[in-house]
Amino acid sequence: MFKNYLKIAWRNLSKNKGYTIINLGGLAIGMAVTLIIGLWIMDELSHNSYFSNKNRIAQVFQSQTFNGETGTGPAIPRPLEMAFRESYMDNFKHMVMASWTTSQYLKYKETSISREGNFTQREAPEMLDLNILKGEMDGIREINSIMLSKSTAEALFGNEDPIGKTVEVNSQYDMMVTAVFEDIPFNTSFNDTHFLMPWDKYVSINEWIKNAEDQWGNNSFQMFVQISDNTTFESVTAKILNVKQELNENSKEFNAQLFLLPMEDWHLRSRFENGKQVGGRIKYVWLFGIIGAFVLLLACINFMNLSTARSEKRAKEVGIRKSIGSQRSQLINQFLGESFVVVLLAFLIAVVIVVLSLNGFNELARKDIDFPWSSMGFWAASLAFILFTALLAGSYPALYLSSFRPVEVLKGTFKAGRHSGLPRKILVVLQFTVSVAFIIGTVIVMQQINYAKNRPIGYDKEGLVQIPTMSQDFQGKFELMRDEFIASGAVVEMSTSSAPTTSIWSNRSGFVWEGKPEGFQEDLAWTEVSPEYAKSLNLKIVQGRDFSREFPSDSNAVLLNETAVKYMGLENPIGKFIKDDDEEDPSPPLKIIGVVQDMIAQSPYEPVKQGMYVFDKYGNSSYYNLRLNPAQSASQNLAVIERVFKEHFPDIPFQYDFVDQEYGEKFAAEERIGRLSGIFTALAILISCLGLFGLTSFVAEQRTKEIGVRKVLGASVFNVWNMLSKDFLKLVIISCFIAVPIAYYVMNGWLQEYPYRVILKWWIFALAMLGAMAVTILTVSFQAIRAAKSNPARSLRTE
Amino acid sequence: MLLELNNIFKWVTTGGQRIFLLKDINLQVEQGEFISVMGPSGSGKSTLLNVIGMLDTFDEGEYNFMDESVYSLKEKHRANLYKQYIGFVFQSYHLLDDLTVQENLEMPLIYKKVKGSERKAMVADMLDRFNIVGKKDLFPAQLSGGQQQLVGVARALIANPKLILADEPTGNLNSKQGEEIMELFKQLNEEGVTIIQVTHSEKNAEYGSRIINLLDGRMV
Repeated sequence: MFKNYLKIAWRNLSKNKGYTIINLGGLAIGMAVTLIIGLWIMDELSHNSYFSNKNRIAQVFQSQTFNGETGTGPAIPRPLEMAFRESYMDNFKHMVMASWTTSQYLKYKETSISREGNFTQREAPEMLDLNILKGEMDGIREINSIMLSKSTAEALFGNEDPIGKTVEVNSQYDMMVTAVFEDIPFNTSFNDTHFLMPWDKYVSINEWIKNAEDQWGNNSFQMFVQISDNTTFESVTAKILNVKQELNENSKEFNAQLFLLPMEDWHLRSRFENGKQVGGRIKYVWLFGIIGAFVLLLACINFMNLSTARSEKRAKEVGIRKSIGSQRSQLINQFLGESFVVVLLAFLIAVVIVVLSLNGFNELARKDIDFPWSSMGFWAASLAFILFTALLAGSYPALYLSSFRPVEVLKGTFKAGRHSGLPRKILVVLQFTVSVAFIIGTVIVMQQINYAKNRPIGYDKEGLVQIPTMSQDFQGKFELMRDEFIASGAVVEMSTSSAPTTSIWSNRSGFVWEGKPEGFQEDLAWTEVSPEYAKSLNLKIVQGRDFSREFPSDSNAVLLNETAVKYMGLENPIGKFIKDDDEEDPSPPLKIIGVVQDMIAQSPYEPVKQGMYVFDKYGNSSYYNLRLNPAQSASQNLAVIERVFKEHFPDIPFQYDFVDQEYGEKFAAEERIGRLSGIFTALAILISCLGLFGLTSFVAEQRTKEIGVRKVLGASVFNVWNMLSKDFLKLVIISCFIAVPIAYYVMNGWLQEYPYRVILKWWIFALAMLGAMAVTILTVSFQAIRAAKSNPARSLRTE
Repeated sequence: MLLELNNIFKWVTTGGQRIFLLKDINLQVEQGEFISVMGPSGSGKSTLLNVIGMLDTFDEGEYNFMDESVYSLKEKHRANLYKQYIGFVFQSYHLLDDLTVQENLEMPLIYKKVKGSERKAMVADMLDRFNIVGKKDLFPAQLSGGQQQLVGVARALIANPKLILADEPTGNLNSKQGEEIMELFKQLNEEGVTIIQVTHSEKNAEYGSRIINLLDGRMV
């Protein structure tokens, strides 16, 4: 029986080629989109599943409240470690202090590379269950040992066996390679970790970290834990919640609270608003999930519409089959079987499409997804997906077609009733509602990105290059390098800063100043800079003056940004002092000498943070900021800069970033979303139009006789075109009016996340509606005009 | 007795008025009969045939097929009964266009859930008996009208029905082809198959052992 169904299905498909192409093509595109989105979601959900202890690992997070605003983050103070080790270890199987992922220069013989990695305590490799390829799991118990990822070991040692060899780090100290671990995959939170070095080393080489041992206020470190087998994250959180406040009086002021954020939540649910976990990337998982479901629905609607539109052709078959003994259920099975065949074919095409487009998609979505050829789970899910789609697309046609009464259809008196087209119309409206909503959504995302991109950023990011200078080699070399670079003609001005211009790395509090409100808990961005900072960035001084090397007292001077002046309530800031409120060992007071324009260092969607730029008297430079010579091309300048750089730092790889590109990275997430949703929208529209095209051709065919009669009676091509197009245009207009409020509601909600956001204008909606109508008219017209131009004599003879 | 209709009424309601398609039909058919139903267009011949063939329902009355009351049967039972005992032959053949002759013949057997090997044998028998072995792989559109109707009759016969219902089986055929089909019916009847045919032609009606005349839904 099943073989018979397949045979009929196959003959039906090959007989009606146009119909088959539309149906298969639409379904294949829809399924490909759904498949790709499915793979993407699978990848998102399996983030960190590389780590076998995923369900037991957490990071210690901290919430603190400043002026009624609660901020939450993973940074914790050092003394917490001792507190935990003394009284809380029964909750933890492993506990590991860790540095942030940092970039270090690694050198072996003549090979020098820069790699990112972490300083961690001894148990980290075991907790993460790293796949050790050579050497030992317990590789960082000695203070001068280093564990390398496979790719890093290969880059440094080539074919040599790295174990026991010595790597020079930052031209500063030597470390012995004790282990090589498999590179941690891309879809994990440690994908940048290419080396592990002992935490104790980190402490011993950094004075400030040593000092932080008893500083409860210095939240600059990370702590990862694996909880004991007999406990839960919630119960551990309950125990550690107030540890900091209990041990440190000052923390009460900020209501410091500690909790565990499970590894499962790191990637998808790491957004906090006022101390509450409010999701995060999971939002995009949902968003794309919904898009995928809708695109599939659109394709299924095509299938339903085209199948039922062809009902008159198949009515006779149903009648005959019933008259030779078929039960309705058998017919239903037959039609479902046909839809199964179509869906199966579409799926095969979809797989081809996915395989061909996966590389492009990976690039666009910044993913590293492989097609899961060998995953049984995937194929099982695919089978379920095919069955589901076949049911979704095939059930309505199957029920509808199998309901025909044989007496009527065989007598030839069968006529689809006046309202038989209604479900079809509703489905078309649904399709275009989705498409129009997609159009509006995409346009608004693009607009928001452009709006934020065009926001004045306060400094000149074009022609600005930054070079990382975190290695010891750079200590005390700034003046020399500045002279050399400027003398080379490639650079017109250069400065240092303790953080890149596109980010804030440090925030400070604990200041007093004249007129500071009682109980005000300030939080100021803190960047240490050389005196040329504003000049090199073309950052405008709006009040007072810039730093100057001519005034020795400027070593205790500070520039505020405009927001800081407002934030601190200073009316005449110039000449005022900002003092340290540490009574025992105060730093010297800082004199405000000028106010600079606000510059965007963090998110371009948010207001500029109040900040201070402090004269860097301790050489805390993390970056050189180089203003390239505008008279020459960037590549010329860079060639010269590299030559000069190599003369002075032959052992350090020459690394640089264009600040405008770094700044552009801030839009990457939104741009990805924008581009992806743009593509999905285009495909959704394509699918809807394919369906509409198919429907029009059937309607034109159905009405061949009517069109013939009308033409004999004197109807022009335009009249006929108008008659055929009007029906569909009406449906699309209805869709627009449904889609607009929905899109407005959803997109307005999306925009609320961005304090700096575009205002929704009515013309966006009007434009989307016009666009949808234009596409409809184009699609319908092709068939309508063909029908209208047909020779009435011929079409009437076909009766 | 094969089947029995008692006081069968069938009507449609238009504009609040009942129009009777069948009015008080009483009919008993014995096994082995060959009945011709005659009457002008619109007199209810086809409707009667469809009711007997269970393709159509009735509004009032009693219909017993092999001592089972058709009206009270569930669809599945009715379909079983019908698959087992009834074969249909149509004026316009109503073969499945997408299937070959052989596959058309196979179809009722498939619905009867006959096993594959048995099916093949029965189809081969039937092709043989009707002398259409050479045509088995052709599609209906490749056959003449007479040949198509031959296939139609073969298809009706293949499941060994007790009753064949033929709705103007020769209506679309030329006289020679028509004669052949009627001869075939006669032969089948002699072999014991009960036949009820609807026809306009006096000559074809003569093949029957009994003639029923209908007028405006009533037997006269």
